[in-house]
Amino acid sequence: MIRVEGLSKHFGSLRAVDGVSFAVQPGEVVGLLGANGAGKTTTLRVLAGLLAPTAGFAAIGGHDVVKAPLHARRALGFLTASTGLYERLTPREMLTTFGRLAGMDKKKLSERVKSLAHTLDLTDFIDRRCGTLSQGQRQRVSIARAIVHEPSVYVLDEPTANLDPVASSVILELVTQAARQGKAVVFSTHRMDEAEFLCTRILFMRQGQLVAEGSAQELLLKSGQRSLTASFLHYAKGGT
Amino acid sequence: MNDAFGILLKKELTDALRDKKTLLVMIVVPILLYPLLMTVIGVAMSLGKSRLEREPLVVAVTSDDARALLETEPVPPFTTYARLDGAQAVQRLRERKVAAVVEAPQGAAQVSTQGGQALVTVRYTKRFDASLEGLERVRRVLKTLEEKALKTRLAKAELPRDFAEPLKTEALDVDFQEDLGPFIASRLLPLVLVLMLFMGSLYPAIDVIAGERERGTLETLLVAPVNPQTVMFAKYFTVVVVSSAAALANIAVMGLTFGIGFRLDASVSAKLTFTAAQMGVMFACLIPAAFAVSAVSMGVASLAKSFKEAQSMLTPVSTLASLPGIVALMPGVELNTTTAAIPLVNVALLIKAVVLNTARPLDVAICIASVAVLAVLAMRVLSKVFAHESLRLTGASGFGEALRTLRQR
Repeated sequence: MIRVEGLSKHFGSLRAVDGVSFAVQPGEVVGLLGANGAGKTTTLRVLAGLLAPTAGFAAIGGHDVVKAPLHARRALGFLTASTGLYERLTPREMLTTFGRLAGMDKKKLSERVKSLAHTLDLTDFIDRRCGTLSQGQRQRVSIARAIVHEPSVYVLDEPTANLDPVASSVILELVTQAARQGKAVVFSTHRMDEAEFLCTRILFMRQGQLVAEGSAQELLLKSGQRSLTASFLHYAKGGT
Repeated sequence: MNDAFGILLKKELTDALRDKKTLLVMIVVPILLYPLLMTVIGVAMSLGKSRLEREPLVVAVTSDDARALLETEPVPPFTTYARLDGAQAVQRLRERKVAAVVEAPQGAAQVSTQGGQALVTVRYTKRFDASLEGLERVRRVLKTLEEKALKTRLAKAELPRDFAEPLKTEALDVDFQEDLGPFIASRLLPLVLVLMLFMGSLYPAIDVIAGERERGTLETLLVAPVNPQTVMFAKYFTVVVVSSAAALANIAVMGLTFGIGFRLDASVSAKLTFTAAQMGVMFACLIPAAFAVSAVSMGVASLAKSFKEAQSMLTPVSTLASLPGIVALMPGVELNTTTAAIPLVNVALLIKAVVLNTARPLDVAICIASVAVLAVLAMRVLSKVFAHESLRLTGASGFGEALRTLRQR
C-alpha cells in the first residue's frame, strides 16, 4: 500500500530525508517518531506529492508519487497539522469540492457526505462557515475532507497536535477504524501514548534517516529503556 | 473547461465573493465613488464660490488717490477699503489680513475727465482663495470705471465706440456643453480604470496564494488529485474575474453618473453617454488588460511567504499602477501607433481616446495586441513561479531570493 525505497530529499546542502525505506501494509498503523527536524514531515510531504524526492522511490496504492502523482493522490487521504479549512466555505462545500476533485460522482458523493456527517458528528454545523467552528469541530471537518474520497491510504501529519483529549480521541478512533477496514495508515506524532496505543509498528527518524523500526515492545527491548518516551530520547540523542 | 478547473474555479469564486474586502473593492467602492465624487465636486465648488462671495473682505488702498478712484463706484458688497501704507499693506496681505492691495498714481480718479492713463496695480496672492476673490471684486470695480472713462472720452471726442476697439475678438466654444462630460471623463476614467484593475487584483492575488499558504489551505488543495497548474489557473481566473468586475463596475457606474449628468455650478452641467461601440472597445481592451495586470499582481504576490510580505512586495507595483493614468493626463500625450504599443499606458490612452471619440481602429488593434502579449508573458512567468516546488509551497523572502531560486532550477 505504501512503499518507500531509498527516499531522499535535499534542500541545498541540507539532507532533510536521507535514504529512507519502509513499507506499510493494508490494516497496518505505522507511527513515524522523531525530534523536530528529524525529517518526518518532509517524508510525509513527499508521500503526499507536495515535494518531489531528490532520489529514491515512493508509491501510494501501487502508484509512483512522481510518475503517476494524480493516481497516487487519489489513493491518499492526507491530513496536515493545520486544519487547512476555507474559512468562508461550509463543511458541506469543502467536502463536496474535495470529493468532486477526487473524481466522485455527485450522487455517491452526496451519500458519502451524509455518512461522514453522521460518523464524525458534523450534522449540526455542516452548513455553517468553517470560520465560525471550534477547534474540535474544525479538526473533524478536516478529517472528513481528507477521507471523503474513501482513500486506501491515510497519511496523517501530527493529527492530534494542539487538540484537547476529546478532539484527539476522534482522530484515534478514526485511525483504529481505518486499520480495521484494511487501510494502510502512517502518521507522525510527538505523543508517545498515542503511538504505543495505536501503532502496529514504529519508525524512529533522526537527521533524515531511519534509525530504528519495530513494535513498541521491540523498540523497548532494542533500546534497553522502560518506556517509549525514554526510547524516544535514547534514539533522538544518537542511540542505536 | 475541464472538470477539475471548473470545480476549483467555483470554489475560488465562492470563497472570494464571500470576502467582504474583495466585495468592497469590486462593487461598493465604484458604486459609491463616482456619484459621491461628482456630488462632492459639484457641491464643494458651488458652496465654496457662494461662501467666498459673501465673505467680508478688506481691500487695502495705499493712497487717498487709490481710495478715491475705487470709491467713484459703489463699494462691492461685503467689502471694506482700508488705507494703509505700501509696505504695511503687503505685510497684511502676507498675513492674510487683507485680500488685495490697490495702488494708484496721483489723480487716478480724474483720468476719465482729464485724459492720460493711470496704471493701477492690484497685488494679491494665490495662496488663499479670499485673495483671489478680493482681486475679482476690485477688477469688477476697475472694469466698470474703465468702461465709464472710455465712454466719457469717446463722447467728448465725438468718436464711435468701435474707435477704441478696432479688432474685437470673440472665442466661441461651439459645443462646450456636449464636450464637458467627455472632457472630464477622459481625464478621470483612464486614471481610475487602470488603477482599479490593479487595486481589484491586489487583494485576491495576495489572498489566493500567500494568504492560503499562511492559513494552510494551499497545502490541502495541492494534495488533492489535481495538477498544480490547474490549481494556479483556477486561482488566476478568479483574480481576473474580480479585477475585471472592479473595472467594469467602474465603467458602468461612471457611465450612469455621467449619463444622468452632474452639475458643476448653476450654469454648467456635464453629461456623457457611451455608445455600444465605445463600450465594446473599452471592454475588448480591459479584459486582456485584466489578464495582464492579474498575472503581474499574482506573480509578485505568489513569491511572498506571508500575506503581510505580499502586501509589502506589491506596494511598489500599486504605486507604478497609477503611472499609466498620470501619463494619460499629460497634455499632448495621445493614442497613436507608438503609444498604442506601450502596455498599460496604451490602455489608459485608449480609454481617453474612446471617451473623446478619437480612437482609430489601427491604434485600437495595436493596443489590444500589445496588452494580450503582456498578458501571455506575465502568465508564463506566473506559471514558472508556480511550477517551482519551493516557491509554490513557501514563497521567497523578496525578489532577489525568488530570482535565485528560479535560476537554481
